[in-house]
Amino acid sequence: MGIFVKTLAVALGGAALGLFATSLSVERGFMFDAVQAGPWTGWPKAGTSEADPYAKAMTARTGEMPLGPAEGLTFVAREDSAGRRLAAACDYVVSGPMPTARYWTLTVMSPTGRLIDHPTQRYGFTSAEVLRAADGDYAVTVSRHARPGNWLPVAEDATYVLVLRLYDSANSANASTLRADELPSVVAERCA
Amino acid sequence: MTPRRPIGFVPSLLLWALALLCIAGIVHIASILMMPRVASRDAFARISAVAPVNQMTLLPATLPGAEVTPFEDPAMALGACRFDLTRGPVRIRASLPPEALLLMSFHGRYGQLFYAMTDRGASRGRLEVVLATRDQLDDIESRDSDEELPQELRLQAPTLQGFFVARALAERPSLMAEAQARITSIVCELAPKPAG
Repeated sequence: MGIFVKTLAVALGGAALGLFATSLSVERGFMFDAVQAGPWTGWPKAGTSEADPYAKAMTARTGEMPLGPAEGLTFVAREDSAGRRLAAACDYVVSGPMPTARYWTLTVMSPTGRLIDHPTQRYGFTSAEVLRAADGDYAVTVSRHARPGNWLPVAEDATYVLVLRLYDSANSANASTLRADELPSVVAERCA
Repeated sequence: MTPRRPIGFVPSLLLWALALLCIAGIVHIASILMMPRVASRDAFARISAVAPVNQMTLLPATLPGAEVTPFEDPAMALGACRFDLTRGPVRIRASLPPEALLLMSFHGRYGQLFYAMTDRGASRGRLEVVLATRDQLDDIESRDSDEELPQELRLQAPTLQGFFVARALAERPSLMAEAQARITSIVCELAPKPAG
């Protein structure tokens, strides 16, 4: 094989491999400065000038507009508190501690951040409208079947994630220190 | 002659593999760093498609299939002003009803967020922000009188173009129209030319 052909093959192969690694890291949402707390993952620096190059590349690619630290925090759960991927066949109860914030909202979305059409047109709850027990506790049930209380419906066979947003949160500055027991738990109830 | 081939072949293959990995690494890092500049469907492009320049625009409600950008909260009324400072500073004014959550963020051309605040950052329910380049800011400051402190918040934009995003919370779905009204009451325009 001539040296020219070898060089060309290595250059093209290297470029292909590099671009493959880029597309993989951007599509998978690989970012350095993610904050992990139980089932929740947050990227408090996404969109700011302090974001790492991978986070900047990803937000440019997806076209999203992440919240600034002064506005709030966004957390995404792809799994339940036991570490199992969220399944449309299961009911999940989201309840428990909530970090101090002026408002929070809990939303069901597709893994790419789109709303999933549902006849009830209920896509989330805000902390102001959620039904609470006498002591102020809340519980939101995520299910494809109608449930009493705060029912957050999901479409049949939908792949989805839960998105928790804390607006005007006191934790924005030190989001990286949030622990799993300071955020709500996502517990699978019945699976059928 | 000693047989060259068995000794030389392996190291040369290794060298070629090393070269391939080096090129892959360089291409990967370069493409990650270039992504914000070359991405064609970034937030600025999406905002530009629906919002005219230097004008506050209520974005379509976040509903299935109607999202302008992904990962937006459906409980929020969303508005944007795509700004262009070529013809001068841009002024944003808002009157903020007390205790109604309004989030405001300022982004450069490549999505970089250079300032963010909530309605709590406004004084006495009124907010005035002037977006300007470094030169325009120098010009504004040279006109400041010594007795009077500037009433507005002045921000230096990192790029000539960019966008301002406002999100107003509807505490429950029936309050969405009210939240949208809070967005449309925000005024975004070219700042009036100073007298003289």
